[in-house]
Amino acid sequence: MTNRSLLPRRTFLRGALATGTVALALPPLEAMYSSRALAGGVAPEPIFGIFFWANGLPWNSKHSTSAAPDPGFDPSVSVDLWTPNEIGPYTPSTLLSPLAAHAPNVITGLEPKTDWVTGGETDGHMRGFMVALTSDRVNPEGFYHNSHTLTASRESLDQFVAKHDAFYASGVPRFRSLVLGVSPARFHQYGHWNSISYNGPNSLNPPIMDPGQLFNLLFAPPGDATVLERRAKVLDAVLDDYHSLRTRLGAADRARIDAHVEHIDEVQRRLELSTLACEGPAQPPATSSDLLTETSNMADLLALGLKCGITRVFSFMLTSPATTHLFSNIGDVVNDMHTTCHAGQWGAVRDITHYQMQAFAILLDKLAAVEVAPGVTALDASLVYGTSEYGEGWKHGVQEMPVVLAGKAAGRLKTGIHVREVAGNMAKAHVTVLRGLGLDIGSYGFHASETSDDFGADLYTAV
Amino acid sequence: MAYRNRPIRGGARRLAGGAWLAFSALGTLVAFTAFGCTGDIGDPSETDDGDGPGEQVASLEAPVLPRLTETQYRNALIHLFGKALPETPVQPDTNPFLFTSIGATTDPLSELGVQQLEEAADAITHLVFDDPGRRAALVACEPSAPGDACVEEFLRTFGRRAFRRALSEDELARWVGVSVDLSGGDAWTGVRTAVSGILQAPSFVYRIELGVPDAGDPTRLRFTGYEMASRLAFLLWDGPPDDALLDAAERGDLDDPEGIEEEAARLLDDPRARVAVQSFFEQYLDLGRLDGITKDPELYPDFTPSLADAMRTEAKLLVDDLVFRRDVDVRTLFSTRRTFVNDELAALYGIDAEGATPVAFVPVELPSDGKRAGLLTLGAFLAMNAHEATTSPTLRGKYLRERVLCTEVPPPPPDVDTEIDPNPTEPKTLRERLEQHRENPACAGCHALIDPPGFLFENFDAVGAYRTEDSGYPIDATGNLDGVELDDARQLADVLASDERVGHCIVKQLFRHSQGRLDADGEEPALDSIHERFELSGFRFRDLVIALVSNDSFRFVAIPEVSP
Repeated sequence: MTNRSLLPRRTFLRGALATGTVALALPPLEAMYSSRALAGGVAPEPIFGIFFWANGLPWNSKHSTSAAPDPGFDPSVSVDLWTPNEIGPYTPSTLLSPLAAHAPNVITGLEPKTDWVTGGETDGHMRGFMVALTSDRVNPEGFYHNSHTLTASRESLDQFVAKHDAFYASGVPRFRSLVLGVSPARFHQYGHWNSISYNGPNSLNPPIMDPGQLFNLLFAPPGDATVLERRAKVLDAVLDDYHSLRTRLGAADRARIDAHVEHIDEVQRRLELSTLACEGPAQPPATSSDLLTETSNMADLLALGLKCGITRVFSFMLTSPATTHLFSNIGDVVNDMHTTCHAGQWGAVRDITHYQMQAFAILLDKLAAVEVAPGVTALDASLVYGTSEYGEGWKHGVQEMPVVLAGKAAGRLKTGIHVREVAGNMAKAHVTVLRGLGLDIGSYGFHASETSDDFGADLYTAV
Repeated sequence: MAYRNRPIRGGARRLAGGAWLAFSALGTLVAFTAFGCTGDIGDPSETDDGDGPGEQVASLEAPVLPRLTETQYRNALIHLFGKALPETPVQPDTNPFLFTSIGATTDPLSELGVQQLEEAADAITHLVFDDPGRRAALVACEPSAPGDACVEEFLRTFGRRAFRRALSEDELARWVGVSVDLSGGDAWTGVRTAVSGILQAPSFVYRIELGVPDAGDPTRLRFTGYEMASRLAFLLWDGPPDDALLDAAERGDLDDPEGIEEEAARLLDDPRARVAVQSFFEQYLDLGRLDGITKDPELYPDFTPSLADAMRTEAKLLVDDLVFRRDVDVRTLFSTRRTFVNDELAALYGIDAEGATPVAFVPVELPSDGKRAGLLTLGAFLAMNAHEATTSPTLRGKYLRERVLCTEVPPPPPDVDTEIDPNPTEPKTLRERLEQHRENPACAGCHALIDPPGFLFENFDAVGAYRTEDSGYPIDATGNLDGVELDDARQLADVLASDERVGHCIVKQLFRHSQGRLDADGEEPALDSIHERFELSGFRFRDLVIALVSNDSFRFVAIPEVSP
């Protein structure tokens, strides 16, 4: 099954109506990318992924250090194991070595440039993960540092892309995006700590963490057209009720109901597409409490879904911000990860970070193992943005935020390049990502972080 | 976002129920203004400048739109179809400001959440309607053609239970129309499909309690009888109203405080209320945090997941005892010597408990000359507010301030290292190491609020066992609360038994939980009026609930700004 077969019929019809033509020989984006055909086949459309891991990197002298003598920081031990020594083509550092087979690009030295309203918003976790995912500050309205109550100011990058008209110009697949997670460990019961995908303030997309649930979502046998049509049609009656309710509401609740209505539209559309099969494994994998095994399970299903074009945007939260995941399988780790960082246990944080990079490598392996077009793997088509919530977890310092750009973005991205800009703007990495996906972005970044610059000169292939 | 904590101007109301008593318990509170640690949530003294008793008015807030929480959604499905339903996945709740009810008024459903509602509606209606026995139990008649009188009568009855109000004739006609249009010629298919739509309609998924014009007062809206039925049931049962409550609403019984009180008393007598009240206390006391705690296995080999569960059960049994079994002053939660232990807890506390087994909890009276009395000397609080290896006077003091006294403790300044020296050059007790807080002026202000009462718990280690030494040095568990010097947590319990802030704090948290939002400044007179009745009843929780649900603040809302 090719990715084309899951494109919705009515989107094509809409496109045809809009352009006045009967059929499009090539969707516009595909046409655009044909000039950058990858070896062995026609360039597919790009796939965008986010890989997120918790608690940043083990601290080193490049991160801010306290003037006071600190038992957790020993410059002879706490060396930088992340930043490659060379600019341009690089030799993988200790912590990047698990990813070496896929030669990702690495951008180092970046940090948040967003402003803030109250002191609590500078908390490294909250400022860091919001900037890494949205290029914006924590939403100051309703922010309450005491209880760690926070929400995003806007959509996260995965949703920005998934809802961007140009990204799905050639047709919206069954899912605009998939939001996945692995470790269920939570720092906080409040939702925004447990998801890295947001639609806007107070609106989050909780990750699917159960391989069985993901299996059912992607590979359920195709439904009977009459039955699916009935399910889609009853939603018309439901929609009438939502439309009449919304006129009675104030602005905030109306926005919630409008979001609900939008989602019903998507569900209706998806029901219409559910007559099409996506071939997956015969049965869902057994769940595992081992992080690497579970990463492998989820990534397998994701890769097969990408193969049949079920979506082109995903986020993959290995561990949630400030994770309390207990890496008890790693020697010398006795506390949950957040506590381990706070306790200044550098060696344990180094080992855990290395382990999290192994999980990242498993995801990339799985993407490299399926083809989305003849001779083109899902990883070739992808731009996978790997990041974390801050530079380092001990002091929650936001200098030197980690940024990895893996995959070839359907031929637009070079591989194996290290770019370094000390005290550079995280938003510049986001502009690089968005333009790397072929989106015509004038600038990106909010509340003092807006920029039109990118790292394209170093990272984009010649067009 | 808004947790709806801003008063809507122009909706100020005189409180029903008479005089508002000036309250100045916080007059004794030490203020640490130098460091921004004024340390109070809604200090009533700030509003004590009104025109005297009887003149205080509470402003009203605009209505909120709660979505059913996960529990409420499942209870609503059970109410409609009976038990033995599949656990279909739904979007998880969030609990900003401790309460899932607040998450329910702020979090929108995600796309996946909406899809899950659709899939659940499809799966559950198939389960029920594909089973002739089960559908016969639900539908009193046998339809002979799509949309016939049997279908119409069923949808009228079912719709009322699902939407928690009577359907209008137009509305009923529309759903009957759906059952005809999508029947494919089969009456049962039509009914099933209409029901699956009803389960996704806003009147089922959300609690639409927007109020109607109040004939007696054009500046406010009043909740209809049906809306009051929902408000009562979702607060007191964590589920939908039963037919009797809907009937009471239809008769107009819920249009006045007396009728509301009568129905609230009936609801409180039902076993469902015990579960719902437990849920409130679990959220207010933040007991969910017990789920994830881990302790250093070398130091605390006896700390097992079953012990953490037992701590949670103990707290729940204690609440149930005070609220339902004995119906006494609920504030004694923080001072009573009565508790409930299984064998693991009895061992932790070093007490005899005849009949206690891993699963059997027995009531015990803690020794009068012992070190324990009240929730703050029991496992749940002590273990939850400690680190893996060490205690935390700071966490314990902060919990006392924030959860028990409703005092706000500001966060540490952003540029301060909050880690205490983990490897002191010479052995010291934790208490001595915490002296850092006093030496650093940036920390001193707030820590002077939380550490001195936090030290009172130092006789209890990180899992809650009694101890007399820390790192080989004798424990000093003296401390103070707002300038009152105390020897230990046992003495603190005695102080809390008569501290007025405890009762006010319970009122405030129940108010937030019941409204699904934070309280607004202008609502303080309402809170105080509720507290007044709570106090008159001898601080019995049942009476607090009844005072709250019959208060104007629960019956009326401000007119919201609705843009066209």
